[in-house]
Amino acid sequence: MRRALIVAGVLVTGYAIAGAAGDPDLSPGGVLVFLVAVLVAHDAAVMPAAIGAGALITRWVPPDHRTPVRVAALCSAVVTVVAVPLRLGAGGLPLTRLLVVLAVVWAAAAAAIAVRAIRKHLERRAAAAGG
Amino acid sequence: MVRDADPGLTRWRRRRRARALLHRPLPAPPDALRRGPLRPGAFPSPLRSPRLAGLLGAALAVAFGICFVTGLISHLVQHPPAWFWWPSRPAGLYRFTQGLHVATGLATIPLLGAKLWAVTPRLYAWPPARSIAHAAERLAVAALVAAALFQVVSGVFNVARWYAPMPFFFTAGHYWVAWLAVGALLVHVGVKLPVARRADPGPRTRPGGLSRRGLFTAVGIGAGVVTAATVGQTVAPLQDLSVLAPRRPRDGPQGLPVNRTAAQAGVRAGPDHRLVVAGPGGSVTLGLADLAGLPQHTVRLPIACVEGWSATADWTGVRLRDLVALVGADPATATVDAESLQARGRYRASTVPPQHVGDPLTLVALRVNGGVLHPDHGYPARLIAPNRPGVLQTKWLARLTVRGGS
Repeated sequence: MRRALIVAGVLVTGYAIAGAAGDPDLSPGGVLVFLVAVLVAHDAAVMPAAIGAGALITRWVPPDHRTPVRVAALCSAVVTVVAVPLRLGAGGLPLTRLLVVLAVVWAAAAAAIAVRAIRKHLERRAAAAGG
Repeated sequence: MVRDADPGLTRWRRRRRARALLHRPLPAPPDALRRGPLRPGAFPSPLRSPRLAGLLGAALAVAFGICFVTGLISHLVQHPPAWFWWPSRPAGLYRFTQGLHVATGLATIPLLGAKLWAVTPRLYAWPPARSIAHAAERLAVAALVAAALFQVVSGVFNVARWYAPMPFFFTAGHYWVAWLAVGALLVHVGVKLPVARRADPGPRTRPGGLSRRGLFTAVGIGAGVVTAATVGQTVAPLQDLSVLAPRRPRDGPQGLPVNRTAAQAGVRAGPDHRLVVAGPGGSVTLGLADLAGLPQHTVRLPIACVEGWSATADWTGVRLRDLVALVGADPATATVDAESLQARGRYRASTVPPQHVGDPLTLVALRVNGGVLHPDHGYPARLIAPNRPGVLQTKWLARLTVRGGS
């Protein structure tokens, strides 16, 4: 099973390389440059920035609020990755559209934090009344 | 030296020696270089585990599988080899497969991000290469990660029509790198299968930390947000919600989006336009009045772009099969080459296969949504057929050449 997967994978990879090299519509050098560029940009910039943002959240946000903040940060990163090319491309997406999505995402995070805080407060009061 | 009597034994020994060489430990670099992210314990999150990486990988494999199959369909429809046959019904099938391709690709962004986050410590493994085999495996992983990022990033750039940063022709690059991604993925699954199988679940939660379930929920919410923000480009009822949709179904002249405008294509046609229909039984030249004088039909068909947007419209015009019959060919077996007024461009012409020629829904349209075609929609006449990508719905028709069907 493992050997079959690896052999099939090597064959398909060979087909991809031969096909790219033989395609008159394609400059394989340009593809290679872009492959290396996205890999380096991701490993050297995007992922370190994401991990750094995660560390900042752990450091500055109280434990009770971390999950909504982390989820909102992840959503913000994803929609930004999609919206920036749309802004720079032929469509010229208005930036306000991205800001609207970010506002909705962070409003939802704030609402989740508020709900948790209220629930905790009520629980404490119930415990105090009971005790 | 004594010659070995048994050649089979020699071969076995040679293979064993080669294997030993591949797995022989390489000298480790000096420990002084082990700094920053290369330090032991540089990535403290207990959420990372082989199990998490395996689960995210399985989800990614499904997403990539959907994108690969739907992408391959789109490629084959546009560049059909002799063995390939694509039906004309259901009329909205291509709209579905291509809408799914783009929506799945966009929803993959948080999943790919989470997967790469989960395996980031492996990037800084120490020593960087334990053996030649280990180095080869790492190179294969680099190819997989590069191909996966390439597909997602180039796909987003194409949807955004931002071509400046891509030093290659998008369609061809996206197609061949898809094969590279699938090949590298098969190798990766083959190598990692035993790791994924024996991966122990690891600690479930940590106080104040995200649990594995929490991470999956977060990825799901991320995918949901990006989907809600864009899917209205093909699911019309959601178009007001999808504020990031590159094109919404009712944007554009006559309430219908456009990819290439008449000005971009360098086309200007007037009311004196003539459409030439050439076939085995001779050729006819039709003015706009002649076309309007032929039996008119109105059909409700989607126009579905390879970039993921689609919109439904009411098209009115002459059935292609009626024009084919006019030049003495049998519409059930004829193939039609449709050419545009556009002088240059990759999509200035398209071929209509017999199953689409014979379909009564296939029109040479003169009107859309009750009005004469806007120049950007192909005035004076355009092709509109069921279950075809928008780039093959040739606009500004100048000539139809009928082959076969005699």
